[in-house]
Amino acid sequence: MSPVSATYLGIPGYVIFWVMFLVTMGLFLPRAYFLYRLMCLGKQENRFDRIGERFKNMFFVVIPQWCTLKSVTSKDFAGIGHAFLFWGFSCFLVSYIILIGISEGLGLHSYIRGGAFEAGFLTVLDIAGVIVMLSMIWAAIRRYIVRPPRLEISLEAGFIMFMVFSLMVLHFCTESFGMAALGETHGLPPISSAIASYLVSTGIEKDTLMAVSFGAWWLHYAFILVFTIYIPRSKHLHVLASAPNVFFKPLDRKVVLEPIPLEALESEEPPELGVSKIQDLKWKDILDLYACAKCGRCHVNCPAQASGKTLSPREFLRHMKDHLLEVGPGLLAKGSNGNGEATTEEEGKRLVGDVVTEDEIWACTTCGACQEVCPVNIEHIRKLLEMRQNLVLVHNQMPESAQLMLRNMQTRGNPWAGAQSLRLRGDWTNDVEVKVLGESDENPSTLLWVGCTGALIDRNVLATLSLVRILNAAGVDFCVLGEAESCCGDPARRAGYEFQFQISAEENIETLKNFNIKEVITSCPHCYNALKNEYPLYGAEFKVIHYTELLAELIKQGKLKLTNDMNTLIAYHDPCYLSRYNGVYQEPRAIIDSIPKARFKEMERSKTMTFCCGGGGGHMWIEEQHGTTKINHVRMDEVIETGADTVVTSCPYCLQMLEEGIEQKNVKETLKAKDLVEVVEAAMKQS
Amino acid sequence: MNIIVCVKQVLDPEIPPAKFKIDPEAKQVIPPAGVPPVISVYDERAVEAACRLKDKNKGKITVISMGSEKAADVIKHAISMGADDGFVLCDPAFDNLDSFGTAHVLSKAIQKIGAYDLVLCGRQAADWGAGQVGSILAEMLGIPVVTLACDIEAAGANVKVKRIVSDGYEVLEAPMPCLVTVSSEIGMPRLPAGMRLMMARKKQVPVWKAADIGAEAAQLDKGNAHTEITGLSVPSRKTECEIITGATPAEAAANLAAKLANLI
Repeated sequence: MSPVSATYLGIPGYVIFWVMFLVTMGLFLPRAYFLYRLMCLGKQENRFDRIGERFKNMFFVVIPQWCTLKSVTSKDFAGIGHAFLFWGFSCFLVSYIILIGISEGLGLHSYIRGGAFEAGFLTVLDIAGVIVMLSMIWAAIRRYIVRPPRLEISLEAGFIMFMVFSLMVLHFCTESFGMAALGETHGLPPISSAIASYLVSTGIEKDTLMAVSFGAWWLHYAFILVFTIYIPRSKHLHVLASAPNVFFKPLDRKVVLEPIPLEALESEEPPELGVSKIQDLKWKDILDLYACAKCGRCHVNCPAQASGKTLSPREFLRHMKDHLLEVGPGLLAKGSNGNGEATTEEEGKRLVGDVVTEDEIWACTTCGACQEVCPVNIEHIRKLLEMRQNLVLVHNQMPESAQLMLRNMQTRGNPWAGAQSLRLRGDWTNDVEVKVLGESDENPSTLLWVGCTGALIDRNVLATLSLVRILNAAGVDFCVLGEAESCCGDPARRAGYEFQFQISAEENIETLKNFNIKEVITSCPHCYNALKNEYPLYGAEFKVIHYTELLAELIKQGKLKLTNDMNTLIAYHDPCYLSRYNGVYQEPRAIIDSIPKARFKEMERSKTMTFCCGGGGGHMWIEEQHGTTKINHVRMDEVIETGADTVVTSCPYCLQMLEEGIEQKNVKETLKAKDLVEVVEAAMKQS
Repeated sequence: MNIIVCVKQVLDPEIPPAKFKIDPEAKQVIPPAGVPPVISVYDERAVEAACRLKDKNKGKITVISMGSEKAADVIKHAISMGADDGFVLCDPAFDNLDSFGTAHVLSKAIQKIGAYDLVLCGRQAADWGAGQVGSILAEMLGIPVVTLACDIEAAGANVKVKRIVSDGYEVLEAPMPCLVTVSSEIGMPRLPAGMRLMMARKKQVPVWKAADIGAEAAQLDKGNAHTEITGLSVPSRKTECEIITGATPAEAAANLAAKLANLI
């Protein structure tokens, strides 16, 4: 006897079962198809390359729950709860297919139930059920009592937790009442058996027990179906979209900006540059919106948000998703690409200004913390940068400070000008022994790419000089471009002025090719990222390393000897573009490790989860939103907390930002900011 | 509306002051190495004014620049902002011309270009700052001139110009064709948008020599120059800094006020 083989008011259970199922599918499938078509409104992009690698990624990230476990910290271990919920609920998902779909729905009850398989499987479910219930209780306590800042009180989340918890309760009711009715109160599954034996001891009629079991079963089934209908209509769409989103994640680089195809722009109807409307996003960007469960990890790790700006990566996504769902049906009615005259005010909306504010778009430092911590690999930064592209390239809308920087870059080949710089590009080479390309007959194939900041700003020039002296001491044969060096273009690209970046990239690649440069050492992580990861798309073929990688290697090989005792406590501030964007965080630590008597204090937010200094994404020049805390002051508080006497970094922007922070926080007496090369030089034997 | 804009390429005014060197003997500025020259800021505003007129009234913008062959860069910059065409006027005979000689060369080039409704110049060059070429050029072309514009509007066959005066502005109308010199109050020049940047980069800028425009040798003869540089020097600037203090910010402010009162 099974719940579906019974008859209810003369209607066979099977009929009820399948009618309920069909009604559910009738509500679920059109919605799923609608969401799929919305996704297809997005622009094309190939994310089906390297399929094997993608499957591997997905399985090894989603199933072991590395996606949420990676962001577990001493302050936030909710990821563990999620992992247990995921594993526990996954068992139930399997049970819904086997025990409900196949066993009951297809009438194969007698083959599946009553054997060792059932006993074993129900035991697993018993344990899984308890785990899921405990994680739901934990989640409810966190959400409604502890209330961590990243979570918001929402009816949606409450409903989902209630549903999941209820499913577990109903499972135990079905099993234990059923077992009690049949008198199977010993053995496996342990928990259901125990409850069953208690129920038997209460002396309730067997028929009543069976009726309750059947009732709970039907209610359980109904809840599953309601849940199925609800999922694609709520943020819990995340359970369907997350795994695909991890599958389609960018494989090589965190922020993938494709070159704008110039040929397309010369056509009769050139495409809109950047992202203006929701349908200008790529399809993967729309899948991102589905995958977001508003867990808020990005929200609490965003430096803009932490310093009181209006930007929150979570809200940024939420507003776009709400807008998508609002205008989606209208856009779909216009055809597959959603183009055509907007028929409603809603459809005519631009994303920037109408859906998200300009302030939000310009508050991002592109530090990448949001993407790093996101369990489902959402790409926030690309969307935002493409919106900047649209603002800048099409509408000429940007903060005045950004415009000034871009103008300088365009006319002077560097973002620093006027009062910001008291030097000319090649000036620093007069103060040190260094080969300048084109000035001598000898042209080594290794180039030190100094970068605008390292060449023009007094404070940063000191670090450049240290680096050159270290390389000379280690016997590295290298050269520099001197006054012929130009900006790498990174600040322009981050500010949305894509063509300037493209021009810079092409010109620099040309210069380096002409001089037959095979290897480039960079001192600025922003140059490093541009030259290493972005230039190859424009034809660059040289090898790029950051000086921290080179120095670590030289020390290892014994070519660079650090012998001076440095009685100091060092905290290292990881530059985002070095550690997070490029995974270079062990090398600087290895270098610091090899300094005699230097003690090292790890910052709480470090390595790939470092916290921005506030200078990335063009923000060395773009003013921060008025009336908010400065990002570098937030970071400086964290530096001060370490108790270190020296904060070391390996990025010219970070160095400036840290020094300004020290000045403003009035801790000049007890704390110094240094570039790693300066510390290394001090530790070298002075001859 | 056909607009011709005259632009000049100058030494970058943003270079650090310590880097600015002159040769007092030769009475010439020594350009520092490795600093690309830029479009004169006022001329860039003239291009901006032309672009705004074109945005509203359609038409064609032609840019001319007298200088070295490198001046093609400022022409390209103007094209990236919105100009359609441009020419560089370069000839050894054009070197070191005074305002009259320069105006003659420009007038010949403008006559060669032909039909125009409006000629725009910057109020003065950002390097020598004489502010004469515009007016002399109008005289040579035989057209009206309005100087120091902060706004230009097309009004039928006329242009309506807001002209900066010391305590505000006056509004003038002039029949086209005419010449207007543009002041910085017109506002920030646009950042070249999108595609134009790439397009301008590929543009070939023709170079016109004295013979191409039919410049008259007599006008280019240095002996006939109307002006002569008698001396060139870098102004010396002395700053004295005194920090005014006080026990409280209010007291410091009072001390500062007292100090200022004494100075007057």
